[in-house]
Amino acid sequence: MDRHHEWAAAGDDRAIRFTGNWREYLPIAATNALLIICTLGIYRFWATARQRRYLWSRTQVIDDTLEWTGTGKEMFIGFLIVIAVLAPFFLFIQFLFPALLARGKLDAAGGVFFLFEIALIYLGGFARFRATRYRLSRTWWHGIRGGSDDPGWNFGGEYLGRYALVFMTMFIMFPWATTRLWNSRWNAMSFGPLKFHADLNAEGLKWRWALIYAAPVVALILAFGVIAALGLSYGVKQGPNPTLGGAVLAIILLIYLAIPLATLHWYAKFFRNAANATRLGELEFGFDASTWDWLKLFLGNLGLAIITLGFGLTYWGYRNWAFMVRHSRIYGSVDLGDLTQSTTHAPREAEGFADAFDIGAI
Amino acid sequence: MIEGKLYDGVTAHPHDVRVSVEDGRLALAQDGGWNDSVEAALLKRRDAPTGMLRLGRSDLPGWRLMLPAAAEADLAGLLGAHDRYGRWIDRIGLVPALVVGGVITASVVAIGYLAPHWIAPHVPMSWERNVGSAIVGDFGEIRCRDARGQRALEALVERVSPGATRGPDAIKVAALNVPIFNAAALPGGYIVVFRPAITETNPDALAGVLAHEIGHVRHRHVTEALIREFGIGALIRLFAGGVGANAEQIVSLSYTRDNEAEADTDAIAELRRANVSPKPTADLFTHLSKITGEERGYTAEFLESHPLSGKRARAFTASFDPKAHYQPALSRDQWDALSDICWKRPIKK
Repeated sequence: MDRHHEWAAAGDDRAIRFTGNWREYLPIAATNALLIICTLGIYRFWATARQRRYLWSRTQVIDDTLEWTGTGKEMFIGFLIVIAVLAPFFLFIQFLFPALLARGKLDAAGGVFFLFEIALIYLGGFARFRATRYRLSRTWWHGIRGGSDDPGWNFGGEYLGRYALVFMTMFIMFPWATTRLWNSRWNAMSFGPLKFHADLNAEGLKWRWALIYAAPVVALILAFGVIAALGLSYGVKQGPNPTLGGAVLAIILLIYLAIPLATLHWYAKFFRNAANATRLGELEFGFDASTWDWLKLFLGNLGLAIITLGFGLTYWGYRNWAFMVRHSRIYGSVDLGDLTQSTTHAPREAEGFADAFDIGAI
Repeated sequence: MIEGKLYDGVTAHPHDVRVSVEDGRLALAQDGGWNDSVEAALLKRRDAPTGMLRLGRSDLPGWRLMLPAAAEADLAGLLGAHDRYGRWIDRIGLVPALVVGGVITASVVAIGYLAPHWIAPHVPMSWERNVGSAIVGDFGEIRCRDARGQRALEALVERVSPGATRGPDAIKVAALNVPIFNAAALPGGYIVVFRPAITETNPDALAGVLAHEIGHVRHRHVTEALIREFGIGALIRLFAGGVGANAEQIVSLSYTRDNEAEADTDAIAELRRANVSPKPTADLFTHLSKITGEERGYTAEFLESHPLSGKRARAFTASFDPKAHYQPALSRDQWDALSDICWKRPIKK
């Protein structure tokens, strides 16, 4: 009786829509910025909570909006807990490392540094998992929330192992590692009684990854071609060649841009494939942002910040979220009677780990 | 009677309910005859899209009652104030919070900047020595250990600051085989000079550089920098995240500009006392300022930990007395020995 059938993908009938607008968000953005500055940054936890509460409440999924119930206080306390755990470790390293260096024990210092890096990667993966789990546990829809029963310790280990392989193969294995990690992370998550199911693979992502390696080479070959063509048609006696100078400059810029653009090109497809490969019960997802859409988002963010002399920074979270929602699709149906309350534990350290390792996103 | 929808927090299924206020409680009723009432103290406003009033209960996590926004007037007596900026800000109000916060922030930054300067002179030298020997050690393989060179280096320190290398608070000077042009004062009275600062200068300029570093040690600038770094610097870095990066930069500079100026004043005075010409030191700073690119404007200079070398060079030049009979800082033999300090076979202890 409660089945919502086959939600169309276009128009106002879209199953997921963003209904906020920048004027409505302005008071939140402005007061958040002021309060962060006037509290030595401590307010940022409450600012994040207010931002999310607004964005979630303006995200319509089928017939009701999402609701964010995370609080600034819990994020602040979560951060303090994590810092209390990690600070002694960091302080120890901060003294140990220079002490070893100053004694000329370079091997020992290198070893300590290596172990430290390994610990950082492990904790980085762990933090990513815990952040996803926390966000789901504070996201409500129809009075039901998400979560996970997996504490994420094993995910940290898997993350470390896969990244070790990525480093050892000079990043060639990166598409395999990220897609497997996406699956491991999302397969551990749930919403109400429904499990997320992710079945992403590197198929279709390999060529775009190869392009990242090829991009600078192609740009370089192109560069030599252009320089040779311009140089040959210009006599040496005529003095410095302004066209050639301009071309060299443009080519240098192109080479610097080639790798980031190729990477963006890869990520655009990664997110489209990832959404397609992920399900929740009978709901399927889609994501349709192209490389050009992402580029417009980033350039827009940058331009906004420059034109507004920095104030636009406070709109980055808003713009990123709106972008994600506007390009998201939900298909399929959900049985409201079967969608019962989640029995998962909600983490108490909030996003402390993600905060401590600067894994931000929105 | 207000028509509304209810999620019970058990399933996602919405129930049609009628809502009214009875004896200061919220009364709910359904067509089938089900009814319930909720104490006002348990009710809490939740976020909702425009046009909707959404209520939650503090005792039932998923319980949500959705009413038309117009119902707010009818329920006014039951609902508390809006949760706006977070409870601690709401309690005092936005504007007072900004004013109080602004004053506290400014004071914390000011104290963080000034306090190390006040505390440093009162920290026992023995503490600094302990920290110093823990961190610094003996430099292992990178230290240049030629005995004659070491004697010449110590003689140069004695020349600009007589007695500096003796006693419990002795300055321990070491040359390091590191190919960067630099010299530094470290915790515990250590002064290190990197190889190019010896091989690419002359005795008088090196005397000026050493006199400057001795000034840092004598004025406890090293302790000051340590307190700044591990005290306020760590605190700001912890909480402020990206926003506080600039604030942190201002308070946790290794040495403040005042420190540098003080060390320069000392160096000029010591060179004069030792009858060593300040001219080569001035030339060295002029040379360095050309390498690093001078005159970056006032803002850049304000944020720099080292005052621009050009400005420092002028201070040394100004102290040059054309009528004075300056003596070389080291003899020819001593300078030759010092120049070779990193090339001679290290003496085994």
